[in-house]
Amino acid sequence: LPCRAQPKKKKKVDVKREQAQKDRMKKKIKKLEKAAPEMIPIEDFITPLKYSDSKRVRSLPPLSAEETERRVLLLKKWSLFKQKQDKAEKLAIQTLVEAQQEALEELRLESEELYQAALRRDEGLFPFERQGPSYTPPLPGYDPPEGKCVDITKVYTQ
Amino acid sequence: TAAAPRPWKLFGAMCLLRLPRITQPLEKEEEEMAALMGQIELEKSHYSDHEMRKLEEEEQLRRRKESMYDDDEAPGKTVIMAQDLEEKWEKKLLQFKAAPRVTDADKNNTRTSLNRKLDTNLMLLVKQKIGNQELWLLPQAEWQPGETLRGTAERAMATVLGDHIQAKILGNAPHGIYKYKFPRAIRTEDNVGAKVFFFKAFLQSSDLSRADLKENFLWVTKQELGDYLKSEYLKKVNRFLLD
Repeated sequence: LPCRAQPKKKKKVDVKREQAQKDRMKKKIKKLEKAAPEMIPIEDFITPLKYSDSKRVRSLPPLSAEETERRVLLLKKWSLFKQKQDKAEKLAIQTLVEAQQEALEELRLESEELYQAALRRDEGLFPFERQGPSYTPPLPGYDPPEGKCVDITKVYTQ
Repeated sequence: TAAAPRPWKLFGAMCLLRLPRITQPLEKEEEEMAALMGQIELEKSHYSDHEMRKLEEEEQLRRRKESMYDDDEAPGKTVIMAQDLEEKWEKKLLQFKAAPRVTDADKNNTRTSLNRKLDTNLMLLVKQKIGNQELWLLPQAEWQPGETLRGTAERAMATVLGDHIQAKILGNAPHGIYKYKFPRAIRTEDNVGAKVFFFKAFLQSSDLSRADLKENFLWVTKQELGDYLKSEYLKKVNRFLLD
């Protein structure tokens, strides 16, 4: 007949111990969760220490008075140029809007139904994606060199 | 409900724009400013790793020439200097030939090609028969009941270019209008004149080889529109076109 060598240990003490352990773990987890999440450092705003070495400072001759004068005058010319450009852009946009309003008014005079159809939102328009212009047009038949791009950005988890 | 007989005929026209592929040349002020910005950035910067390496190697060379001692490194070892690297990169850059900004079509002024004037918008113009005149204008089609005006404009574009052209039409609303009265000879009570509603679209597909352009067509810039369009029509079209 199969029989035990030792009597079985009582289960109750083990169960209690295990439950106590679980509760302690849960309390620790709750404490960690309650703590505020760590801020993710913005790597662009932290200059690495090796770049604040004094040896790295560039040695250039100081600016002459004519140079500073020229710079100030250039900045003034630039602000005027930009102001004119901005005004021209705003005027162009205004004419565009006026032309469209005129067209819509004429359409309304013609037929209300077409007018309502014109006023409806165009769902397929946005999001609108477009490749911007480059300095030179794409070379026909250009074979770019092969290579692999390894992404080494650091990923932080909160 | 019986609609009152409208005296105006409706047309939908499509202004198809090919957007610029290269950047426009900088104005004089922009170039001067760009140079100044570069200079200021250089003045405010520190030396980079590559520049530090170059400076150290120059120091080493100078010291070696002055003291004239033998190399303490093994003579067989060839050290790549930063200067050599720079020269290698320069050579590689000079070997690359980019596509020209001024294309052949520019030089020959072939106005039917899309490769012309890559830094400005190009518009499609077709020669259509209006009344008994052959005129250059933006492709238009007469409105048929049952379709919206945008549909008319799309149909006009499809009749000229074929179905396979991808174009992004900017919204359901017309951008401009040209109203004209028929000449007295054909003007009647119900048929006073016509209203042409313009729609704008951006050309998405880059090659039109599959398009069957039957009629005479041209791709022109805003400045060149004056060579082809009549003055009243041109005035109205210019209002909704940006440079």
